[in-house]
Amino acid sequence: MNDIQWYFPKTLEEVQPHLKRDGVKLHGGGTWILRGSMRGIKGLVDLGKLELHSFRKDSQTVEMGAGMTYAETIRSMTTINPDHILVKALQHAASTPLRNIITLGGTIFSFPVWSDLMGPLIALDADVVLMGERSEAYSITEYVKSSALRKESLITHVRFKNIGWNAYYYREVKTSFDYPAFTITILLKKNKNLIEDTRIVVVGCAGKFSRVKKIEDYLKGKTTDSLEIDGIAQTHELKFTKKRSLEPAYLEHCAGVQIERSISELTRG
Amino acid sequence: MEGLFIINGSEKKLSFDSGDILLNVLRANGFTEVKSGCHEGQCGSCVILLNEELVNSCQVFAAAAVGKDIVTIKGIGDIHSPHPMQEAFVETGAVQCGFCIPGVVLAAYYLLKNNPDPDDEEICRALDGNLCRCTGYVKIHEAVKLAAKRMAENV
Repeated sequence: MNDIQWYFPKTLEEVQPHLKRDGVKLHGGGTWILRGSMRGIKGLVDLGKLELHSFRKDSQTVEMGAGMTYAETIRSMTTINPDHILVKALQHAASTPLRNIITLGGTIFSFPVWSDLMGPLIALDADVVLMGERSEAYSITEYVKSSALRKESLITHVRFKNIGWNAYYYREVKTSFDYPAFTITILLKKNKNLIEDTRIVVVGCAGKFSRVKKIEDYLKGKTTDSLEIDGIAQTHELKFTKKRSLEPAYLEHCAGVQIERSISELTRG
Repeated sequence: MEGLFIINGSEKKLSFDSGDILLNVLRANGFTEVKSGCHEGQCGSCVILLNEELVNSCQVFAAAAVGKDIVTIKGIGDIHSPHPMQEAFVETGAVQCGFCIPGVVLAAYYLLKNNPDPDDEEICRALDGNLCRCTGYVKIHEAVKLAAKRMAENV
């Protein structure tokens, strides 16, 4: 194995010079680095001593440090709402010991297709706050689509509006500890039986994720008793690629059925 | 590289390569109670407590754990002074081949530290990172419940 130089910065300023160095990667939880090849890694910048575990909330916004683990995120978000989409999604992600390691920042940077974090964050329209070449806040969808943003930058925080959504989360797995073939996140804002707003995100489809806009548009402004949910998924062309012996047509069918079931469950009662 | 670790309450200065994972460093230095399984964070046989959090030691770089507090299964009790969780596993017959047990017992210990009276679903979720190919988990659940009962009675 190649010799790796470790750096242990205590402040964000000390991280800055490392961001531009060739072969030097940032180490949050480290699980993503260990999954990949270590070849070419010359240095690792351990982020463990930085203050990236803060959690702030007010009536408008929730802000979380990028160093927060999934377990820390579940504990913090439960204080706001035990049925929050992040609690529902992350409590089934990976396993108990891995939820104590995997960080928000590491997942957003690497965006694995089986991620249980990314669908909820995309649906929440989260922003990521960067330090480095482009020290600003960017929408998460802009961040994941732009390799330029990911390059030479460190995610310091994630934030999103503190809205009381009704939330539904589904992961397509064979066994509970399996990597999901896809996940479905649905957020719905109701005023009595009127659907005021909704966001539907599928992760794991072609192009990694898809915001299911046609169905969102169909639902917005309707009353729950006027919905015709059967066949609604066919209005949005959700495409999958072949994965782990699962054919695209099968995955498309499963996703469609689950979207309809999820909407049905969320709009009931 | 060299680093000072606090393992089961004692300071240990260990040498390791910069890319070594904590599991291998612990085992190479005699802590063979930390079992080496899948090396992918799936099986849970290598779990330890790192700064009081349950983690897969195969998913942690040794360099990133320097200075931290490590507890292995031997750190919570031994044959002369077993922890109630260890006793409960023996009494309920929850140990068969034993390979996964250091990890399972530590995961159960971690659960009761944070939730002294777990229900079945909470036990299932707490043990979701530990695979046992022998027992079918029924006896393991019995052991966790027995330990919880005894620990509550001794408070």
